[in-house]
Amino acid sequence: MGAFFRSEEVCLVQLYLQSGSAYNCVSELGELGLVEFRDLNPNVNTFQRKFVNEVRRCEELEKTFTYLELEIARSLSPPLAVSPPSSVPSAPQPRELMAIEEESERLARDLREVSRNRDNLRNQLTRLSQYRGVLIQTHPLTVSQVPSSSLETVALLDSRQDIRLSFVAGVVHPWKVPSFERLLWRACRGYIIVDFREMEERLELPDTGEVIQWTVFLISFWGEQIGQKVKKICDCFHTHTFLYPEGTMEREEILDRLQGRILELKTVLSQTENYLQQLVCRAVAALPQWKVSVKKCKAVQAVLNQCSPSVTDKCLIAEAWCPVRKLLLLQSALLEGSRRNGSGADSFYNRLPDTSTPPPTLFHTNSFTSGFQSIVDAYGVASYREVNPALYTIITFPFLFAVMFGDVGHGLLMTMVALWMVLRERDPKLQTSDNEIFQMMFGGRYLILLMGLFSVYTGAIYNECFSKGMSPFPSGWHLQPMFQHYNWSDDTLRGNQYLTLDPNVTGVFLGPYPFGIDPIWRLANNHLTFLNSYKMKMSVIIGVIHMTFGVCLSFFNYIHFNQLSSVFLVLIPELLFLLCLFGYLVFMVVYKWLVFGPQDSDRAPSILIHFIDMFLFVKNKDNTPLYNGQLLVQNVLMVIALASVPVLLLGKPLYLYYNHRRRARVGEERPLVTESSSINTLQGDVEGGGPGDAKELDTADVFMHQAIHTIEFCLGCISNTASYLRLWALSLAHAQLSEVLWVMVMRISLSWQGYLGSVVVVVVFSFFAALTVSILLVMEGLSAFLHALRLHWVEFQNKFYSGTGYKLHPFSFSSILNPL
Amino acid sequence: MSLCPELNFNVDHGYLEGLVRGLKAGILTRSDYHNLAQCDTLEDMKLHLQCTDYGALLSTGNEDLTVSLLDNRLKGNIHTEFRCLRAHAPAPLSTFLDYISYSYMIDNLVLLITGALKHRDVEELLPKCHPLGMFDQMAAVGIAHTHTELYSAILVDTPLAAFFQDAVSEASLDEMGAEILRNKLYKAYLEAFYAFCWEMGGATRDVMCPILEFEGDRRSFIITVNSFGTDLSRGERRALFPSCGRLAPGGLQLLAGAEDHEQVKAVADYYPDYRLIFSETEDGSSKTLEDRFFEQEVRLNALAFLDQFHFGVFYSYIKLKEQEARNIIWIAECITQRQKSKIDNYIPIF
Repeated sequence: MGAFFRSEEVCLVQLYLQSGSAYNCVSELGELGLVEFRDLNPNVNTFQRKFVNEVRRCEELEKTFTYLELEIARSLSPPLAVSPPSSVPSAPQPRELMAIEEESERLARDLREVSRNRDNLRNQLTRLSQYRGVLIQTHPLTVSQVPSSSLETVALLDSRQDIRLSFVAGVVHPWKVPSFERLLWRACRGYIIVDFREMEERLELPDTGEVIQWTVFLISFWGEQIGQKVKKICDCFHTHTFLYPEGTMEREEILDRLQGRILELKTVLSQTENYLQQLVCRAVAALPQWKVSVKKCKAVQAVLNQCSPSVTDKCLIAEAWCPVRKLLLLQSALLEGSRRNGSGADSFYNRLPDTSTPPPTLFHTNSFTSGFQSIVDAYGVASYREVNPALYTIITFPFLFAVMFGDVGHGLLMTMVALWMVLRERDPKLQTSDNEIFQMMFGGRYLILLMGLFSVYTGAIYNECFSKGMSPFPSGWHLQPMFQHYNWSDDTLRGNQYLTLDPNVTGVFLGPYPFGIDPIWRLANNHLTFLNSYKMKMSVIIGVIHMTFGVCLSFFNYIHFNQLSSVFLVLIPELLFLLCLFGYLVFMVVYKWLVFGPQDSDRAPSILIHFIDMFLFVKNKDNTPLYNGQLLVQNVLMVIALASVPVLLLGKPLYLYYNHRRRARVGEERPLVTESSSINTLQGDVEGGGPGDAKELDTADVFMHQAIHTIEFCLGCISNTASYLRLWALSLAHAQLSEVLWVMVMRISLSWQGYLGSVVVVVVFSFFAALTVSILLVMEGLSAFLHALRLHWVEFQNKFYSGTGYKLHPFSFSSILNPL
Repeated sequence: MSLCPELNFNVDHGYLEGLVRGLKAGILTRSDYHNLAQCDTLEDMKLHLQCTDYGALLSTGNEDLTVSLLDNRLKGNIHTEFRCLRAHAPAPLSTFLDYISYSYMIDNLVLLITGALKHRDVEELLPKCHPLGMFDQMAAVGIAHTHTELYSAILVDTPLAAFFQDAVSEASLDEMGAEILRNKLYKAYLEAFYAFCWEMGGATRDVMCPILEFEGDRRSFIITVNSFGTDLSRGERRALFPSCGRLAPGGLQLLAGAEDHEQVKAVADYYPDYRLIFSETEDGSSKTLEDRFFEQEVRLNALAFLDQFHFGVFYSYIKLKEQEARNIIWIAECITQRQKSKIDNYIPIF
């Protein structure tokens, strides 16, 4: 857990990669996912970098792969989903890459040729089938036309000798028929006869593979000129026209020949198809592995492109962030990389001293903690080595949520949903769900589980289950003594709607309920008043504790960052201010709970009045004091709280200012010291270095910041405490809403009698269940989630968390291959 | 509904406006151009374009990388985006988008007519047509010999028919005629488009009308400048000027009478925007008049994105994208022809 309290220690290392083995070393690092490389040539264009040719080679390969994939998708039957490769190959050696290149090229070439052949054959087949269709379809037309036209020809023979009836026959895409027909008519002014028939066979469109029913047309016309026009129009509509012999005999002859050729083609086509399938299967088998290899190779080259070559060109220099714990692993990875290459010179790393840029933040999360860490990261990634609030969020978040969502029944439902997700977390179907909302829920499954469990707990405290109370123990209140003491009779019970139980009568109140709230309160008409007072005080107590804890956490930050002065000048004044005012309020609440019992409840003072009086330094005669000497204690506390404000406001800036002046004077006297320390930093011996050594202190800036911080903190204490009252408000809203749902929906069904009643119960229950899930679980749950989130981000984290860091994104193959 | 179109603009067009604004964010910036201009080969350009929204535009396919391939891909890219927008567009926007494509149809039509007059093969010409202006009957243009034939046989079914009414004449088609036809069609088209945008009202009118006014005026100027030295009479020239611009009617009258470049410049002097364009051409920089106009067009179109709830963004996006394609092609040409000195003559957009 220590690693989760603070981010991993990260240092900047300089890697000297021998140019021979650089590739292997980087690929080794990619497998491990250890380090994040820094771009050393940010000003160089992508195409001017050193390994741009290798990157291009990879891109060429990927282009080939895209072609193969397209071909597989087009030709493979039955189509299959590309499964992830069983074993993940490592980044390919240059020799392997060449082999992949060669093999994939060959495969692509073969495939291209065969599929071209196949397409040609298919086209031919389509053509022939179209021709056959044309001949068959138009046969009845011409048979009936020939005699009439011959008659006409005879009639016309007298006037014009050269006239001859000619045909153009072909197929046209059915969508184009209307405009085709219209254009023919307009352009030829009716000197033609056009017939359209639908072809019986459905044929494939060669380009898209779409199956359509072509339309056969037969145009009969007279004359050369019109023939030219008709041909042009046919061309422009992408029709397929065929030779159309005039005699019936010739046509039948052609038809016979066509049938034969179609059969022939079909056999050839099926053989080609078989061969193609073989090729495609080979591609399917090899492609996933190749793709992974090439992707890795490309990623490695991209990293090498970020390195700068050394002066002698013998090695590449890379800079990378590496977790200190993993330095040994880094060393061994580099050795392994060099060894695999068999080169004499080893690659090695050199730890660089502290740099101007702060190192990135790295937390090792598991499936349980990642949900909580992401809640914190959504606000801001922790600065380097800052206290990580995610650790505490694990408990406080579900708890604050549950305070607002307290209901045993709803909590159980939520727990069950979360439990289902947790138990099936290894199910790949859930892990790779496309539903974004589900993915979000799935990512936070442990969070939801804890929220559910805590809701059961707080629900038990509030004694609520679907707005009904439970009584596992006998109530602490008893009616019998009241009868005896006040001489109540059955008539008294009948006559009054409300009767007061007096706890001062012996035997009426035998002691508090063993766990949670006494169920008898549900019957009382001051139920809400009681609960409100209780929940309001509880919210303030929880809030003050939560905030105090947040302020205390800043202690660890100050200690770690060597700012001992801030502990005295910031932390302690803050704590004093918070505790003297609001800590005292909490004390008063608890004190009143403990000291004032039922017998002296009429003399109990008002805490609110006391608290206001404390601010005003006055004494109220009507309000009895809580304890002796209260006025003195309150005045002292108030003075302490007020006195801590100027300390908070001026302490740190003044301290920094004097420190700076003193250091400047010392620095003038002894310049040698700074010189030697700079040598030290160069050698990397001094790790932290003196903060603020070199940088100029901007006094006005520091004063300004501290003033803002002070105002924010002091006002924040008041407003944040008030902000915690949302715990009360939301839990009240939740309880009321679930009660409304019970009273308005479910209770109606229970008042029905007989068989009909059971039917009504079923119907109404389904309605009730739907509303419970949609409104109370989902909507209310989201709203409580949101408020819990706000309480953490604003009220808790602003006490100690700066969140100005950035994440470490290690160079790792697995994240490149499976991007989230 | 017509009272406050902004209120329910998003009901129908919100998605597409969002889409087009998102696409607009992918338009290359100055730094992109700067990087592109440093390239030494087309391969370098490809590598750099991969970092932009074009992504894998050039990395698929097996053809050698040439400028014409680049050109085709870029045009195809615009076409794909336009088709996507057009397919999702409901009523008024769909008409608007159609109007955008009509101008490309006119260009294609004239290209094919001139091609047919030179007895070039239609199959050879079709790939040169802009994909945005493709229509079914296009390839049959060659069979027409006169304007009337062209209209009554081929174009009557196309959307261009509406613009053709003024251009119908019995004169047979020739090269000069084709050019005049283009200008006549364009005039009718611009005026119709202007009227449509005016009718739309609201922000669409505010944004589109200045752009179309500029477009009309630009055509008037270009026609005038190009007609010097041809046998186009003043009256004929006057008939070609689109009347929707800011020059109309006084400026157009003057332009019709202009005889040389100086007189055109004198006309432009009356209008502050155009005076700038013409005065800049004088100061010896390498930019041509056309480039100046393009620059002004880009400026106007970029302004369209400042307003919301109007259709202008669609027009502007297509035009800017077209300019971007021109820029990329210019840079690519400069690289292949080793004319590095002229490479900076592109027109940056954002």
